[in-house]
Amino acid sequence: MKRKVLVNVVGVLLAFLLGALVMLLQGYNPLETYYRLFEYSLAPGKITYTLSKSVPLILTGMSASVAFASGPINLGQPGQLVMGALFATIGGIYIDLPPVLMVPFLLLLAMLGGALWSGVAALLKHWFNMSEFITTLMLNMIADFFTAWAITYPFFEENANHPQTPLISVSGWMPEWGNFNSSVIVMVLAFVVVWFIMNRSTAGYEWRLSGQNSLFSRLGGVNISKNYIVVMLLTGALAGLAGGLVIMAGPHRFIKGIGANYAWDGVMIAMVANSGIILTLIFGFFFSVLQTGSLGMELITAVPKELIQVLQAVIVLIVVAGRGYFETLFAKLEARRKMKERAT
Amino acid sequence: MQDIIAMNRIFKIFPPSLVALDDVSVTFRKGEIHAIVGENGAGKSTLMKILYGMQPADSGEIIFNGKNVKFSDPGEAILAGIGMVHQEIMLVPQYTVWENVVLGSEPVKFIDHLDSKKARQLVKDKIDEFHFNLDPDAKVEDISIAARQKVEILKLLFRNVSVLIMDEPTSVLTPQEIPQLFGELKRLRDDGHTILFISHHLEEVLELSDRITVLRKGRKVGTIEAADATKAGLAQMMVGREVIFESIRKAQQPGKVLFEVKGLNYIDPDKRPRLSNINFQVRAGEIVGVVGVEGNGQLELVKIIMGLIEPTSGSILTLGEDITREPILEKRKRVAFVSQDRANMGASTAATITENVIMTHHRLNDRFTDWAGRILNFKQAQTFTDEVQDKFDVQMSSGETVFKSLSGGNQQKVILGRELLLDAPFILLDQPTRGLDVGSIEYVHRQIIDMRAKMRGMLLISADLEELFRLSDRLLVMHRGKVVAELITEKTNVTEVGYLMLEGAAYEA
Repeated sequence: MKRKVLVNVVGVLLAFLLGALVMLLQGYNPLETYYRLFEYSLAPGKITYTLSKSVPLILTGMSASVAFASGPINLGQPGQLVMGALFATIGGIYIDLPPVLMVPFLLLLAMLGGALWSGVAALLKHWFNMSEFITTLMLNMIADFFTAWAITYPFFEENANHPQTPLISVSGWMPEWGNFNSSVIVMVLAFVVVWFIMNRSTAGYEWRLSGQNSLFSRLGGVNISKNYIVVMLLTGALAGLAGGLVIMAGPHRFIKGIGANYAWDGVMIAMVANSGIILTLIFGFFFSVLQTGSLGMELITAVPKELIQVLQAVIVLIVVAGRGYFETLFAKLEARRKMKERAT
Repeated sequence: MQDIIAMNRIFKIFPPSLVALDDVSVTFRKGEIHAIVGENGAGKSTLMKILYGMQPADSGEIIFNGKNVKFSDPGEAILAGIGMVHQEIMLVPQYTVWENVVLGSEPVKFIDHLDSKKARQLVKDKIDEFHFNLDPDAKVEDISIAARQKVEILKLLFRNVSVLIMDEPTSVLTPQEIPQLFGELKRLRDDGHTILFISHHLEEVLELSDRITVLRKGRKVGTIEAADATKAGLAQMMVGREVIFESIRKAQQPGKVLFEVKGLNYIDPDKRPRLSNINFQVRAGEIVGVVGVEGNGQLELVKIIMGLIEPTSGSILTLGEDITREPILEKRKRVAFVSQDRANMGASTAATITENVIMTHHRLNDRFTDWAGRILNFKQAQTFTDEVQDKFDVQMSSGETVFKSLSGGNQQKVILGRELLLDAPFILLDQPTRGLDVGSIEYVHRQIIDMRAKMRGMLLISADLEELFRLSDRLLVMHRGKVVAELITEKTNVTEVGYLMLEGAAYEA
């Protein structure tokens, strides 16, 4: 446990050090830059905004984490996210219920949209043994163009000069208090549920063990193919939920290109979090800090915000590489200790 | 004939304590076919891998053509003139024969540009030179296993090796294909090549080789001229002198039939028969041993019993009920399983000890779950881990530590604990002591005997004759997918069993 924390903290610090080096080489002041970065994202009044922005990152991150930890390589978060967003939008345009019902209804629709999309990949595997590794990637593109078509033709807002849908009913807007959007509450609830499923439920136990060693789990009586489908549906639903919340908390309509910025970050967060649910939450928030802060950094200092993308990538590389390295290092130390014990 | 290779005083130790080769010295002559024989784990493959540079020896020297050599990888060995054909064939299926042969040492024109015309012609010349009946333009995926093996040999001849190591070359061939391979090997020998041939089929060894070296448990028993050898003599050298293995069983009357295999056949996806008409029963309070050299159908039998593969025909019965095609969870109500492969079949090494201990129990025993099976009861899981720790004497700090931090013996104790506490009437034991130290082996044996006293029925698959004689009431001898003999342990001996498992037929003087 201590080692885990160490690997992550050291990895992040090393990445920041490298980032500072790059800035120094280019003649920027790294200390000031980092100060502005965190000031803009963590100062009172700003942090609520950062939290709201972390919602899609954490939800798609959890989607990828649950999938990777359980075996299926679901890389379809981008497609599942836009399908969820589209479902929520369409529901929001045509249906109007009191907010108490409308919000859960649209959230369910969003999850349904995501789950349907990942379900296609699951069925392709089930029937034709096609790897979800490929099919989810392919389905991403189909979802992209399908949603683009949907907002350009059937659900196009008249008089708009840009492909977008009309606004959804106001009853489906996520309530907002100042900078704090209630989508954060939904995300936290989803986190608690997912954590509980993965760590306390029989199903989550079976998924994790199958993800680690599917032959052993199969021999132990676990129904691998059923679990596969359930995991695909659940992770699709999580990405879909992210999409629904993006619409309901943000522009309240589907605008072209809306999902482009979130879903790949989810896979990245899952990787850096080693598919752990709690680490996904932490890194998801942390990446949101970096992304929100980068705007302020660019405003105040001359450092371009693209630097933060580089920093994110470096964090992923160092933490992931460091994990492997630390493990061999600890194994070596252990072996040396044992050799010594033997010698005496 | 002069010696081409001398391996002197070779030692190889696999940590922590497995001595794979214990002071082995052997010489090979130029232009001979030299068989290396021995049981599983005798050290045959290790010795050859050391010669071929795949593994370093811990001490000892290798003299090749009068020079002291030490290859750090197979590439160096091939360059020096020693090549090895492995059991599994390693070719690119989508490439043609000639492409596979030149792969890695292609003739080039200009800079790095494959001269295909020349390459194809060179391969064709080699095929003609050695009278290999091969089409250089055939795709490897379209040709038979025997032909693929020829391609592997050709690949080495193309690189001008003078010493050819063959690791159990006949194990992948059908009986009809074997004479052809032998013809080719003999022709190569007559051309001056030296062939080292790993095998445990005595008949083949006697037919093919000029000299034979026998290894047993990492030591060299001797090198003899094939002309002076007999099957019985070789079998005796391989399995050891007439040792009386003491049985540790108490006499007891077996009960009703718990487990039964009826007319089991299995033909693998490559259309090779792996199991042919297997029939046997296991009664309560009885241990039935399966004797045989590895790869004679034991693995397939295990997989079919556990439901990993479906048999071509036949059935598996527990307590008189057909469970052949039942879901695995259904089978597990009646079948406990200790596998030889702890890391892949026996446990999830990345999970905690507790998570490993409750596998299967979590579905079969409702004390481990709440809310109608939906939520795991971690308190019960923890109690159960403690129970396993106490009953099976596991050395561990806590159930929350990861499984792979345990030593091999303790890992096996955890697995035994999980499986034996399942209360399944029938227990399938697949090499339950593989890779364990002496103390742990002793412990596992006592547990097995204890289960016998509790009237469980057990099928014990093992490569260790000593283990089989200590524990089994009856012995089934498997050879090339058939049960060739069913023996009462008390009424047979190691020589007879050893001969049967190597030859598949009873010894006739």
